[in-house]
Amino acid sequence: MSSFKDPASWSLAFKLARRELRGGFTGFRLMMACLALGVAAIAGIGSFSATIGESLQNDARALLGGDVELRLTHQKATVDQRAYLDKEGPVSAIATMRAMAATIGETPQRRLVELKAVDNAYPLYGEAKLDGQMTLDQALAQETRDGETIYGAVAQPDLFTLLKIQPGALVQVGEAKFVLRAQLLREPDAAGDVFKLGPSFITSEAGLTASKLEQPGSLIRYEYRVALPAGIDLAAWSKRITDAFPDAAWRIRTLDEGAPGIGQQLDRLNLFFTLIGLTALLVGGIGVANAVKSYLDGKTATIATFKCLGAPAGLIFRVYLLQIMVMALGGIAIGLLFGAVLPAAGLNAVRDGLGLDVHFGLHAQPLILAAAYGILTALTFALWPLARAREVPAAHLFRDLVSPDRVWPRAELIAATAVAALSLAALAFFTASQKNFAAWFILGAIVTLLVFRGLASVITRASRGLGHRLTGASTRLPLLNFALANLHRPGSPAGIILLSFGIGLTVFVTLMQIEGNLNAQISERLPAEAPSYFFVDIQPTQVEEFERIVSTAPGVTGHQRMPSLRARIVAIKGVEVDENNVAPEARWAVRSDRGLTYAARPPEGSKIVGGQWWAADYKGPPIISFDARVAQGMGIGVGDTLTFDILGRRITATIANLREINYQTLGLNFAIIFAPGVLEGAPQTHLSTVSAAPGADDAVREAVLSRFPNVTAINVKDALATAAEAFGKIADAARALASLALIAGVLVLAGAIAAGRRARIYDAVVLKVLGATRKNLLGAYIVEYAAIGLAASVIAGALGTLAGWLIVTQIMRAEWVFLPGTLIGTALVCTLAVVAFGFVGTWRALGQKASPILRAR
Amino acid sequence: MTSSASPQPIIRLEGVELTLPSAAGMVNILRGIDLAVQPGESVGVVGPSGSGKSTMVMIMAGLERATKGRVTVGGADYAAMNEDELALFRRNNIGIVFQSFHLVPAMTALENVAIPLELAGERDAFERAAAELQNVGLGHRLTHYPSQMSGGEQQRVALARAFATQPKLILADEPTGNLDGANGRAVVDLLFGAQARLGTTLVLITHDAALAEHCHRVLRMEDGKIAGESAGTAQYQAAQ
Repeated sequence: MSSFKDPASWSLAFKLARRELRGGFTGFRLMMACLALGVAAIAGIGSFSATIGESLQNDARALLGGDVELRLTHQKATVDQRAYLDKEGPVSAIATMRAMAATIGETPQRRLVELKAVDNAYPLYGEAKLDGQMTLDQALAQETRDGETIYGAVAQPDLFTLLKIQPGALVQVGEAKFVLRAQLLREPDAAGDVFKLGPSFITSEAGLTASKLEQPGSLIRYEYRVALPAGIDLAAWSKRITDAFPDAAWRIRTLDEGAPGIGQQLDRLNLFFTLIGLTALLVGGIGVANAVKSYLDGKTATIATFKCLGAPAGLIFRVYLLQIMVMALGGIAIGLLFGAVLPAAGLNAVRDGLGLDVHFGLHAQPLILAAAYGILTALTFALWPLARAREVPAAHLFRDLVSPDRVWPRAELIAATAVAALSLAALAFFTASQKNFAAWFILGAIVTLLVFRGLASVITRASRGLGHRLTGASTRLPLLNFALANLHRPGSPAGIILLSFGIGLTVFVTLMQIEGNLNAQISERLPAEAPSYFFVDIQPTQVEEFERIVSTAPGVTGHQRMPSLRARIVAIKGVEVDENNVAPEARWAVRSDRGLTYAARPPEGSKIVGGQWWAADYKGPPIISFDARVAQGMGIGVGDTLTFDILGRRITATIANLREINYQTLGLNFAIIFAPGVLEGAPQTHLSTVSAAPGADDAVREAVLSRFPNVTAINVKDALATAAEAFGKIADAARALASLALIAGVLVLAGAIAAGRRARIYDAVVLKVLGATRKNLLGAYIVEYAAIGLAASVIAGALGTLAGWLIVTQIMRAEWVFLPGTLIGTALVCTLAVVAFGFVGTWRALGQKASPILRAR
Repeated sequence: MTSSASPQPIIRLEGVELTLPSAAGMVNILRGIDLAVQPGESVGVVGPSGSGKSTMVMIMAGLERATKGRVTVGGADYAAMNEDELALFRRNNIGIVFQSFHLVPAMTALENVAIPLELAGERDAFERAAAELQNVGLGHRLTHYPSQMSGGEQQRVALARAFATQPKLILADEPTGNLDGANGRAVVDLLFGAQARLGTTLVLITHDAALAEHCHRVLRMEDGKIAGESAGTAQYQAAQ
């Protein structure tokens, strides 16, 4: 390889490569398509994500509502706190909660809304866009009609559609009347609320007060947004205010975090989709290896000629490396072009879905990343066949070699292939936001690759062994022998089809199993057990009458009710939460306020796994029952203490028992349950679930809501549908991407079949000369491709199901349901697809006339 | 390479054997060849198919390594050279003409002839290649691809390519085997013409005993050995 150091040699290699490439791109079309597909997927996902990320960045102030936001649950900021904020800069205070909006009349229509009460300063940044000419201030102004105060409000168009009303209509929320003056087309700070149960409804602070929905214990959040002077150090500012009010229960979010909810989701989805895109690229990589090998096989004579003319092996390697990389770069460039432009198509959905003002733009970073993936994939898969071609003996030109070419590449080129493969894995790992997930993906990809490689070898051996046995016996199926021989003959496409199709299919089956499982959870298993309605914010004074209404309503099959309070865990075993090392899966419990309750008896759907439940008449120091999984994440158990901040009061309680909770029943349950005797006097509301027979559920809801306008009813079916819809969109996108991996598999399959077409035609001609009919040949092809397709489907089915099971049970922590229908259906379709594509690739062989081909030999 | 004025032979094969593996076991292709060829000499090699003629030429070209014995060409001992050193040696000293021409299909006649010159780093590779093509009567076909030329023309391009670097040694393996009589004669005219003009050493494998007779010496090979040797006429009368 000494000539590698000679730059002149590179320029000569380039000249020779350029001359050879004039022959056209024919041998490379499939390789370019494979690379273009994978690169387009990765570039598209990256560009899409970067576009949204940029919009989040640009609109960060508007999305957050200020430079900083302080969020409190249940309680407003104290006078001192508010005074402090006012000194820092302009402040906008808003309150948000869920409420019912009802039309006014004999038979009122009611809908759940996400209510937001805003002050005059709202929004500090950005702009609320309304239909018509009105400003937000004008729309929220109050008026008096017949001596009654009517409050102004705006709502998202959905509410108008659901309630069948027009702007100007009156609605009742709580005890107040509102005139919906305009449709809210864009809410500047809405994108952070990813999971909304109803349309937004914005009114004034006075409107909220008049609704009388602000009751002690109501599930209401107060948010204070502050506009700070430009250039201020937000971290230092946060520290200062925390020092000034160490006991304040607020959660501070700064501009740097933007809309963290949506940002994190974006990161996760970006990673998830990028990895699926990478699978398509890896499958394409197998196509690259195959295309390079076929191309170089066709160049054996040229390579040998070069060698006879005195070209060193290093020069030969460079000549073909340059050609392959030029073609690869062509494919990558096409992929980048599509990847950069296609996301524009999805932006409208984001604009509508997230209320985010996104604009299409070109983003260099995701394109560079996708190009790097493409180049490394091309190198990883092309270097090996290139390195072998380098060793082609010049003696090829004089006669066919007596011994077959089983040449191993040189050690340095084996090392170069390994470096390219490792760089590919490193790129996937180091650019991933979740290293764990990426590491599992890489491991999964390697295992899948090895399994299919091993399977190819097993099939080759098995078909050879079976073929020998059939030859030994006087078989009546000579063409079965032919089919088996096709599976193991040199240059058989079986291995490549197995690898490419198998990997694509494995990803597809994995996604189908995950999706099928989650769908089963959301739309099949849950509703069977789920209640019809959740009623929230029932005041203690309303409990008795609520119970009476619900127990006497016709069609009610059961109901549960529990008190609900909000509290924050501030210390674990006496040590402040910030100083504890809480495992990621338990962090949600300490991140902000959590709901808790108190009960004499354990709720349904929980199993005591440690300690003892208390006596129904327990009287003593505070003790609690705690979620076993969260306790594990915090590293605590029975006998340890947790300290809570309940509306500004600190209470330390000892864990008396641990429960394993099945939240999937959607029954009432809480991670934290106090024993009776501590919380009864604290401000609280009640939550209730009601199960009713189909058809009777709306009557129960109406009976409760018409009596208690402050109570909010959440239709469980609607909420599930919202979740299912959001999940469905992600699943659609994932399936589309996984299909790309399958399409790449089909391209590789087509390439592999095309590469062997000439040999196949010759075989078919010889067999026909010997008396085989077209039907015989067709049968043999079907047996051959069905064997490959079935083997790929069965193993992909097993691996995909295993991966799906791991993800569902270990990562999502959900229950696993085996879905044989999905599996068998996918396997059958794919086997048929392999047979169909294989047949399309070989049908020409059936119709070939023998004489021209025999003469040509 | 040592000077052609050197009394030493340009090719020296001493006890050369070649054994290759095959599905049926080891095959002895060459069974002890001893041969010395002097600079400027032309040697015709005849013999039945499978007698080892082509293999002996491959050994001389350094394209195949002897299993036993010693191969020295132009004073260079092949056993001491690695594959790249052999490639460089061929580039500078040997021209090869094949029965099947072996032109690079994606390159024009001119580019094909220029390859060895470019490999040798010659700045005027294309001018010299054009001159060589003129010499073989293909000055009007410079930009034509192999697929656009007849077999005879392709072999003339191959000849021009073999002589382009003015090698000391030309190895020709059945150069007329794929050509009809007229084209074959034209190629032989050019081959012997150039050999005489440049004083090149020529090893010519052929089935045509009459053609071999035009060399200084004729070797007859049988079963991997040199079975006989006779003097040729060393005179070639160009066809008119």
